[in-house]
Formats: sequence, structure tokens, C-alpha cells
Amino acid sequence: MVKRVKEKTEAQTFEELLAGSVAAHGHLCPGQIVGVRLAILGLRLLGFEAPPTHPQLKHLIVFVEMDRCTGDAVAYVTNAKLGRRSLKFVDYGIMAATLLNLETGRAFRIISTEESRELAALYAPGEPDRRGQQLEAYKVMPDSVMFRVQEVKVNLSPFDMPGPTRRKAACMKCGQVVRDNREVRQNGSVYCRPCASGAYFTGVQEIAWPDMNWSPYANPDPTKLTDSDSPGRRVWPGEIAGKRDD
Amino acid sequence: MIKTVKVEEAVGLKLAHDITEIRPGEFKGPAFRQGHSVCEDDLCRLQRLGKNHLYVIDLEEDEIHENEAAAILAQALAGAGIVWENNPREGKIDLYAAHNGLLKVGVPALAAFNLVDEVMCATLHNHMPVKKGEKVAATRAIPLIMKRAAIERAAAIASQNGGVVAVKPLQKARAGLIITGNEVYHGLIQDSFAPILSRKVEALGSEVATVDFLPDDAEAIARTIRRHLSEGCDLLLLSGGMSVDPDDVTRHAIRQAGATEMHYGSAVLPGAMFLVAYLGEVPVLGVPACALHHPVTVLDLVLPRILAGEHIGKLDLALLGHGGLCRDCPECSYPHCPFGKGM
Repeated sequence: MVKRVKEKTEAQTFEELLAGSVAAHGHLCPGQIVGVRLAILGLRLLGFEAPPTHPQLKHLIVFVEMDRCTGDAVAYVTNAKLGRRSLKFVDYGIMAATLLNLETGRAFRIISTEESRELAALYAPGEPDRRGQQLEAYKVMPDSVMFRVQEVKVNLSPFDMPGPTRRKAACMKCGQVVRDNREVRQNGSVYCRPCASGAYFTGVQEIAWPDMNWSPYANPDPTKLTDSDSPGRRVWPGEIAGKRDD
Repeated sequence: MIKTVKVEEAVGLKLAHDITEIRPGEFKGPAFRQGHSVCEDDLCRLQRLGKNHLYVIDLEEDEIHENEAAAILAQALAGAGIVWENNPREGKIDLYAAHNGLLKVGVPALAAFNLVDEVMCATLHNHMPVKKGEKVAATRAIPLIMKRAAIERAAAIASQNGGVVAVKPLQKARAGLIITGNEVYHGLIQDSFAPILSRKVEALGSEVATVDFLPDDAEAIARTIRRHLSEGCDLLLLSGGMSVDPDDVTRHAIRQAGATEMHYGSAVLPGAMFLVAYLGEVPVLGVPACALHHPVTVLDLVLPRILAGEHIGKLDLALLGHGGLCRDCPECSYPHCPFGKGM
């Protein structure tokens, strides 16, 4: 029986959100404060609580444009999650995040200003080092100095929406099943991205490893397949199963 | 959007901005004001001013003219005790002190404001004493027309904590003076401290309620401090005994009297051995002997701020270090000099 983890969804203070974010991320740093404040601002602009209530969470998509401490804080406060497809990582290397309300279509892209870093010493003149200045300054600096906000339109493909997998396709070269329209078509054939255009890894060599038959629970009757072992409906190489939206 | 027209084709059009005339050493100001309808007679003068083309403005919905922008900026920058007139000249608005007092400049907010490309604001130094009607700041939008959003963001930055510039009125304190030192008490030398301190207190609009002369006796000084408080003094100045000699007991006396907060030492010369303490809400200032020799010391930097209602702590005394070195000019021009202008 899978136990559902109850998330905290009642409104929290800045301090509570920061403490939770720090615990989740692993340390307190200026980026945590920036991220918590960015998320609070974005949620406020959408008319959402911080953290969002369950109904609000269903309509929220968050795009983070950096894989830095700030990104974790934004994800923590908004409760957006990669696995739920409510959190999108867009690798721009920009200290910015966009919060989109799927119900209204309104979206706000919030950019952390470079000026806020330059002004930290002025806002926290009693702190001797840069980190201390940023930690203190980012608590007192107003949003108008910390951030710039753009109202934007986000065209989210149905394949990027939360919910069940829209489509599966199998690579004609390696047989790997590819979900949600991420397959590549070349000359009428369907491939996974690694086969089509190379991958972030090289030198592929399939291996055997020690204790290959470990599992968390012993199978009481090895002759009987559990549900999860069932092959179910297979997708054959080259086949595209499910609804096609393009 | 801005369009350019040849000056000879501009008759009948309204000027988009003030046109400045500069006659070296004689005049600098607008020769023509924004909104002026150009007529035939103006053409020669415009050409003499080097204008062969003029701007015609056709504002988009999200754009704003420099004059309207300047008024929004002035409104946001002006805190308590600041007045200004919505009559921009060459896109600029001046801000004035509404009354005598201490100028307060939100230095971080001012820097944040000036980092917005489209705007600027220049001020006098933070913590300067100013007179009613004195110009303390000026602002303008830099382009002729710009996006309204930039001005709104600059205005939001300026209005944090109630505006970037403010003039705080000085409270009228009832000061108690305690002049310590065996040499004065026993009449070996004549005191000069009481008249100097009285003059400084009175120059800022406060009164000296009582003056006591005491020997270097911590118990007696502490008793007198408590008596001054019971007589309603809301500011105490103690002189003498602020140094490091065994006879210098004034600090101990202030502690004995029940100081709730005490900071000895300031980053100012003259005035390193200055002391700021608090007995509850009442500030107690320990003035070192330098005040006898130097016309301006740390006391002149701190006393107006105390009278303006500021609580002076350790950090405030430390921040005085930048700009806290008096140049000992043959003719003192304080406050029109760098002394005390660091923060």
C-alpha cells in the first residue's frame, strides 16, 4: 500500500518558507533567499498562496532558467515538481523563473537583477564579507530592487502538460521507448534522441553487475509474475502508440 | 515615438521639450518651453541656438514624456519634510526642505534608483543640517520619452521606506551638562566646556536646563546623572574623564547610573574617545577633551542626529569612519566640507 505524503499547503511566513527551503536544499545561502522571495512574488502576482493550495497547485507550472540554489528554493516554495511535470528546467543560465497559471494563461517571468548583487553592500553596511552582505541585504531589499517582472505568454505543448503520458514511440535503432513526443523522425523513421543526434554520454557498453538479483522484497512465488513484472502492451520498434497531436 | 521635422517646417507645431540656451557666464535656461507653438519669428532664434530640426512627439500608450515622468519621480523621491513644485524645467524638478532639520538620504534606495537607466536623482549628503527652502535634491528623466514601466519601477524603488530624501525636524531637548574633573572642580583651571557645549546645544534649538561641576568621583557623577533624569532632562552631556588615565572615571559613572547601552569609541578624528550611552530612552553623550580645541568634532556629527530622533549605536559610530577625518583647515567651512559625509 503506497502512502501518500501530505504536503504542507497552508500559507506560511517568509521565515517558515526559508527554513523549509534551507532544510530541503541543505544549506542557507543568498540564492535560497532570492529563490524564496522570487517564488513568493510570482505566486502573489498569480493570486496564489505561498505555498499554493492543492487546487492552485493543479494550475501551476514553473519554469526555472538556472540549475542553482535559487532553482531549488523556487521549486520548494511553489511545490512544483519535475516528476509531476509542474516544474520545467530551461537551461538558459539566467537567474529567472516563470510562473504560469494554466487556468487563466497568465504568466510572469521574474528576473533576479544584477543590481541587487551590486547593492548588497549598501543595504547591509555592517556586514564585512560579501556573503554576509547578501544574506542580510536580500531580507530587507524591496522587490522593486531585487527583481524585474515581465508578463509573458507561454505556449505549452499538450505533450508538456501534467497528466498521463500522451504518446509513446520506440526507437527503430535501439528499441528504447520514448515518451511524450520526444522522439525524432528522420527519413520516415523514428529514433530516440541519443540515436538520432548523439547524447551527453559516450562509450556505451552494457554490463552485468554484482548482486544483479537484489530486490527490496523477495518474490514469494518466483514462478508467478507480479503485476509490475507483466510486460503489458508492448510498443514495437518503429511503432507509435497513443494519441498523436502533431 | 519621436519624429524629426525641419525647423522651417515647424511653424504651428508645439515644441516637444524645453530648448535650452546657454550664454557663457550670463544665462543658462530654457529659451523656449515645452508646448510653445512655433511661429515665424522664432525660426531665426532657433537656428541661432543650433536647431535645424525639431522633435514632434507622438506618444504610444506605454510611453511617457520626460516632464510627466519627472513629476512621478519627484513624488516618489520626496519623503516627509520635502516640498517640490510640479513645474519641470528642462525635464528637471528640484526638491526643497520644507523646514529646518536634518537631511536624511536613503543611500541604498538612491543607488538602486539611479541604476534604472532612464532616471537620475542627485542629493546633498546624508545627515546634513539643512534650512527651510534649501534645495536638497533634484531629479529628472533622462530620455525625452521612455517606457512608462521603467518610470513606474524607478518610482517604486524611490518610495521604499517613504521616499529617498526627507528632512527630520530637530526635537527641542532639555539638556543636562555635567562637567567633570578635579582640576576644574577645585578651581585650578577655568572651565571652557560648559560654554562650548551650551552653544552647540542651543544652536540646534535645544536648551541647557542645568549644569553641574563635579570631581572625578564615579559615585558622585552617577548620583548627579540620576538627579538630572529625575529633573526631566532628556539629553545628558558629560565632559572630562573620557580618556584612559586612572582618574578618568566618567565611563564607570555612566555605567553605575544604570546605562542600558554603552558604546565607547567612535571612528572620528577629532572624537575617537567619544561615548554614546542610553539610560532607558535618554541619550548620554560623553564628550572628550578634543571639543575644547577643535571647532567641529564628532559631537557635531552625532548631536543633530540624536535630536532628530535617531538611535545611535555601535554600527553608526563605526560607519562615521569614512569621511570622519577632519582636515583641520585654517578656516573651518563645516558643514560644507567632507567631514562626516561618508554615510
